[in-house]
Amino acid sequence: MRFGYYLRLLAVSMRTSLLTAMQYRADFIIEGFMSLAWTALALFPLLVLYGDRTTVAGWGFAPALVVMGLFTIMRGVLEGAINPSLIAVVERIRTGSFDYTLLKPADAQFLVSTARFAPWRIIDVLAGVAIVVYAFRELGRAPGPAELGAALVLCAAAVAVMYSLWILIVAAAFWVVRMDNLSFLLGAVFDAARWPIHVFRGVWRIIFTFVVPLALMTSYPAMALLGDLSVPTAAACLGGAAVFFVIARTVWSLAIRSYTSASS
Amino acid sequence: MIEVRDLKKHFKVHKRPPGLAAALRSVVRRTYDTVKAVDGVSFRIERGERVGFLGPNGAGKTTTLKVLAGLLHPTAGEVTVAAHRPQKRAAAFLRQITLVMGQKQQLIWDLPPADTWTLNGAVFGVAAAEYAKTLAELTELLDLKELAQKPTRQLSLGERMKCELAAALLHRPTTLFLDEPTIGLDVAMQVTIREFIREYNQRHDATVMLTSHYMDDVVALCPRVIVIDGGRLIHDGDLRALVKAMMPDKRVSFSGAVAAEVLDRLGRLVSRDGARTTLEVAEHRLREVIGHLLGVDGIGDLAIEDPPLEDVMRKLFKDKTAAPTPVESQGAT
Repeated sequence: MRFGYYLRLLAVSMRTSLLTAMQYRADFIIEGFMSLAWTALALFPLLVLYGDRTTVAGWGFAPALVVMGLFTIMRGVLEGAINPSLIAVVERIRTGSFDYTLLKPADAQFLVSTARFAPWRIIDVLAGVAIVVYAFRELGRAPGPAELGAALVLCAAAVAVMYSLWILIVAAAFWVVRMDNLSFLLGAVFDAARWPIHVFRGVWRIIFTFVVPLALMTSYPAMALLGDLSVPTAAACLGGAAVFFVIARTVWSLAIRSYTSASS
Repeated sequence: MIEVRDLKKHFKVHKRPPGLAAALRSVVRRTYDTVKAVDGVSFRIERGERVGFLGPNGAGKTTTLKVLAGLLHPTAGEVTVAAHRPQKRAAAFLRQITLVMGQKQQLIWDLPPADTWTLNGAVFGVAAAEYAKTLAELTELLDLKELAQKPTRQLSLGERMKCELAAALLHRPTTLFLDEPTIGLDVAMQVTIREFIREYNQRHDATVMLTSHYMDDVVALCPRVIVIDGGRLIHDGDLRALVKAMMPDKRVSFSGAVAAEVLDRLGRLVSRDGARTTLEVAEHRLREVIGHLLGVDGIGDLAIEDPPLEDVMRKLFKDKTAAPTPVESQGAT
């Protein structure tokens, strides 16, 4: 019953977002064109880098292209399904209409997370898939079912981590209110996920593996797809994603409690 | 039913004196003030009552309503609304109440109100048949037919408020908290909203608690008023009794000329604009004064009224600063 209820809510919310997107048809075309342009631009440094060498930090051109493809997919998910909702919520907190969210008999975090979608971002996801397919054609092989399955599971973990990081930012908005800068910062940091994790050395690799786990978002799913990821690493990824998710949920609950006990 | 016992809501507010030096100091060491937004308020409202909740700006009205709706945790005291503790925000509780804030909106700006309604219907889990029935009823009462499919951003303030009310009532709540629902609306729209609230209250035996800056709303809708100031309750009871206790004299107004020294004998002059004169007259002298006025040539359009609630409130808040409890609390009726 609860599951069915939330599934229905999700469907209605997506319908609402689609209707909103239809209101601005010009946006649809411009945004679609922009995201294709960005993807093409993102490929440019990769082409330059591999122009006179065959491997970078142990990654050949085609495997690095797989990472780029996953990055494009993840960016589509982030900007299509995660970011719009959370930007909408920060706005609601500032204008005070967030109160209406708390007056609804549904989980506030669910309502917040499904508030708005940007449907045209599906273009990024499709472009990302195309890049991955092209990379495997370059490699001259296709991933097996086990690799495909592992990659899908890791992609789900990656989405969970991204979502958790963004929920933490929104939770911070209850205390700080102006959160735009922090979300821009995280967006900029996320850009580094276009490179395989091994490109980064020393402290950066530690940060991008454990603090802001970019490795988990693109490199590890890519390695799973390529058949290069060990089982313990994959398990650690899932565990890490679960930990992030629990932390985000806990901080969110604390934020709501602080909001209802302190704001005016 | 709403029961509030000794409700307190205190906020800790960061205090900073003006000036750059003080601002820098406050980065290191912050001093806090405790603001007692609500400070020991008790009342009880029965199902189906319409109660006006009055007080000057910053009196604690909105804070109290937010506590009653479960948006704020009380600092102390006990609150029961529809047999629930609001701060737990139980789904069963939220399905029975609604809070309408005239200054905030929940309608999706870019879409027609109908889409927000659909969304709210799903969130509140309203069954399809019931949803259609409620929407038909609201459409009829609020005359929404023309508005439902227009994008919200193209609606006037009054039209938007009607659609906001519909969005807030689709789940048929039995307890309504209305915080300035008529703010900024023209007189005709105020009357429409007012009549709708009364109709909803009578059809569904709903409890209504209303704050408004327009005393006409309160006079028209609320037989009972609760008045707070500075977070404390200063009156709870019949609206007429309050008016009588605060300003027992009646207002007598008429058109036509009467000599100034005659007016002085009849009562206290309140206003004289154009040809119309308004006097304040003690009730026991009313018969005598009216008799006298009717005897004067050229006097017409005679009216006897209670003093406007605005004046009563102004007097109430002024007295309150002079003496702590000018009006006795009468408790629930």
